[in-house]
Amino acid sequence: MDYGNQYSTTSYGAGGGQNGGGFMPGSQSDSAAGQKGKYGKDTLRPVTVKQLLDAHHPYPDAEHFMIDDQETTQVTFVGQVRNISQQTTNVTYKVDDGTGVVEVKVWVDSEVMNEDGQDPKKVTEQAYVRVFGRLKVFGNKRHVGANVIRPIRDFNEISYHLLEATVVHLQATRGAPGDAKAATNGASNTNGMSATAAAQLAGITPSARKVYECLRNSPQTNEGLHMQDIALQVNMDISAVMKAGDELSGVGAIYTTIDDHTWAIMDM
Amino acid sequence: MSESTPRITAQYLEQFSHQTVRLLGKVRQLRGEQATIDAGGNVSIYLNRDSHLQLNHAVEIIGKVQNDLSVRVMACTDFGPENEIDFVAAEAVVDATHRYREIFYEKDT
Repeated sequence: MDYGNQYSTTSYGAGGGQNGGGFMPGSQSDSAAGQKGKYGKDTLRPVTVKQLLDAHHPYPDAEHFMIDDQETTQVTFVGQVRNISQQTTNVTYKVDDGTGVVEVKVWVDSEVMNEDGQDPKKVTEQAYVRVFGRLKVFGNKRHVGANVIRPIRDFNEISYHLLEATVVHLQATRGAPGDAKAATNGASNTNGMSATAAAQLAGITPSARKVYECLRNSPQTNEGLHMQDIALQVNMDISAVMKAGDELSGVGAIYTTIDDHTWAIMDM
Repeated sequence: MSESTPRITAQYLEQFSHQTVRLLGKVRQLRGEQATIDAGGNVSIYLNRDSHLQLNHAVEIIGKVQNDLSVRVMACTDFGPENEIDFVAAEAVVDATHRYREIFYEKDT
């Protein structure tokens, strides 16, 4: 399926989100680009229901949720329908995937556009379904507003989805398989980092890791790099670079030089 | 508050004694209210009236693990003929469930 390509680029948060189109990298100060940028930052992640129940808004009124410290808007998951409740404005399904139960609401007016295969009548109780939608919170209750809910076609889709959700979760928390092969104890690292540096960096987020890599690999004076240069090189927002810098100086990987926003790698 | 039903195979039965779990196995024997499925090892299951199992089909059982490591079935879903199911993938899911349990279930025991 097409969406399978998306997750491998979106697993790096900001960098991947900008591939969505319509959001120009470099126009960091431009919040007027918000209207177009709103869809440019959409990501689609395979998740487990437990991840949905654990997800939270980074700040109130945010459009997106944080799952594994990554911004998440659209999600997909596979589960078994426990209950179907027809209401005036929507059909509410209770879906259980073995990790938790969540309500999925399909709004009635969108039924009009359903093609074959998305036919809600084909979704029956105890059937396994694939859901695509957005996580929404109402007070302290959460549910998924679904765009698509359809029966699965092959029972292997369940195993496939759970393994995919695991891979994406691991990529988000530990980095892609290439640079975190021994992520279990962070002892050695195929990027040739020293053992102590890798141990320090074992628990940092992917964006902090990118900033660190940039600092490590770019030509610079002994004063290090200014965070704006880093932002341009790694294609991230200034605010994300600042956050990453805070994290890195928190673990003692970098230090400030001529001013608060110029950093150098701490290597002894 | 945990409504989760972690997926397990036969070797995890002891660890999840008295808990509600999910097993995916191949139906090996049917004896009235009792059956045996192969989920990485043979597991005895006690059926309820709604269960209709077929020999050599894959079935997903949701049930409670008993003292003697048999499973009392609460719900079951027929997954079709066993050769259509990728059991290597299913075992990988069980492995991932326990190795990275933070996205699958709350470990409260």
